[in-house]
Amino acid sequence: MNQSLQTFFVRLRRFGCRCEDTLLCLLLALMLGLGTLQIVQRNLSGGSFVWTDEFLRILVLWLAMVGAVAASRDDRHIVIDLLGRFLPPRTAQVVRLVVDLFTVGVCLLLAWHAGRFVWMEHEYGSQLLGSLPAWPFQAVMPVAFVIIAYRYTLFFYKHLQQLRQPGGSL
Amino acid sequence: MIFIGLLLILLAVAGAPLFAVIGASTMWGFSTSDVDLSVVAIELYRIAEMPILLAIPLFTFAGYLLSESGAPQRLVRVTRALIGWMPGGLAIVALAACAFFTAFTGASGVTIIALGALLYPALLEDGYSESFSLGLVTTSGSLGLLFAPSLPLILYGIVAQQAGADVSIDRLFIAGALPGLLMLLLLGGWSVWTNRHNRVPLANFSGRELLAALRVSIWDIPLPLIVLGGIYSGYFAVSEAATVTAVYVLVVVVFILREIPLRDLPGIVHKSMGLVGGIMLILGLSLASTTYMIDAGVPTRLFGFVREYVSSPLTFLLLLNLFLLVLGAILDIFSALILVVPLILPMALGFGIDPIHLGIIFLANMQLGYLTPPVGLNLFISGYRFDKPIATIYRSTVPFFLVLLFCVVVITYWPALSLWLIGG
Repeated sequence: MNQSLQTFFVRLRRFGCRCEDTLLCLLLALMLGLGTLQIVQRNLSGGSFVWTDEFLRILVLWLAMVGAVAASRDDRHIVIDLLGRFLPPRTAQVVRLVVDLFTVGVCLLLAWHAGRFVWMEHEYGSQLLGSLPAWPFQAVMPVAFVIIAYRYTLFFYKHLQQLRQPGGSL
Repeated sequence: MIFIGLLLILLAVAGAPLFAVIGASTMWGFSTSDVDLSVVAIELYRIAEMPILLAIPLFTFAGYLLSESGAPQRLVRVTRALIGWMPGGLAIVALAACAFFTAFTGASGVTIIALGALLYPALLEDGYSESFSLGLVTTSGSLGLLFAPSLPLILYGIVAQQAGADVSIDRLFIAGALPGLLMLLLLGGWSVWTNRHNRVPLANFSGRELLAALRVSIWDIPLPLIVLGGIYSGYFAVSEAATVTAVYVLVVVVFILREIPLRDLPGIVHKSMGLVGGIMLILGLSLASTTYMIDAGVPTRLFGFVREYVSSPLTFLLLLNLFLLVLGAILDIFSALILVVPLILPMALGFGIDPIHLGIIFLANMQLGYLTPPVGLNLFISGYRFDKPIATIYRSTVPFFLVLLFCVVVITYWPALSLWLIGG
């Protein structure tokens, strides 16, 4: 890879990580603030805003999806990995490439179908939180899958490079 | 069909992310029955329709904050001042403190990292053998799963509700108390007995040290009182208790005690939410796979199949124990709960087993799985943390494993232990 392209990817990664962390902090802060407000309101006046519950639940979805993106940053998704311990290093590297490709494929498929769902909701004019369109809130699903697919593409590339180096190991 | 199933299993054991394997199998299943695949997204979106899920990110965040703060040291100090004077004192301190900490932080191995590092050298210093100390600390890492507000208990409740059983999380919290205590008591008893010839100098009970320890922990002590009191009295819903816990811990650790600088928070948020995202993505995608399996009548057929060979509930429970033991050694507790509960719950109900009792059996078994080779998670975390070969760690845990195995048998075949407090 040439130098400037590499710099571009390093910068892109740094920018992405910062966005991710900021978004996660914002979402969590909102959740904590709103949750506290709800408890206080319940104790003072016996009620809370009509939209609080619904909004909190949407925040959970967002935290889950952005969290899933965050987990893919350092390849920390939950795995079983029984085989890896018993395979010779070279074979394990090849298996790893297959696994990366498989993950990219599944994520792209999921992104495509989630995208279609969001599009249908857009066409249908679904609403939430009173009268807001639902689709921007749902769009987090396909976007997250695209980013996860991108991350695993990078892993694939990285592992391919390692395989090419003589004697390289994962 | 069998070929693709095998291929997916192969990919899973080869280390493909579990969510991708589940996503693939669900999409493949739906596409063979000509269902539009956007259904996967519709099911995933149900994450936003379950208010109880709020508890998962909040408790996880609070747990990560606690483990990075000075709370583990303070917890050990208070417990030591309280019960350190008894014979086998420090061993019991370790068990109690770890159980308490795990209940509050979920079972993600943080207990071994946060508390084990404090307790292991202290145990050696007090004259306990290396093997005993290692085994104790490794085992303690998953003790406390059965105590409120542990995340696996909550997750079992959520999954069982999705599978159509009437399981309230409040009742699960109560049901776990006695079985959890049984484990603590037997492990404690065994620790005292096995060290009876080991003349550990008994520490004196010191009122002054206790007072000092309590004073240092003045901000930690209200937390369990508020959370457990709030949940057990019915004042807080579980998700509200999670909110209160997270806010309380955040304020105390970051703003009052200033043990975690503000600039470290994004890192902790990233780590904890990464775990949450991993769990929830698997949960969301298996909502879809569960729907598919129920549509395809898989649980019913599975029950019919098992029914042909197994007639008594006792035999079923025995097979269940064996199955869960193997499962616990291969899968982490969260994925195991999400994937397997929808399948075995209908069977267990068919054999007349109470769904709450099933939950307690499931978690007690999983706890054993943490100590079972080849992949028991605690073995690896401990090996990594204390820089010991896995074989050494494994040998050290064998006696503890046997004690816990005995507990699991008692818990399984004596339903009243779990159900007595909830009047079942």
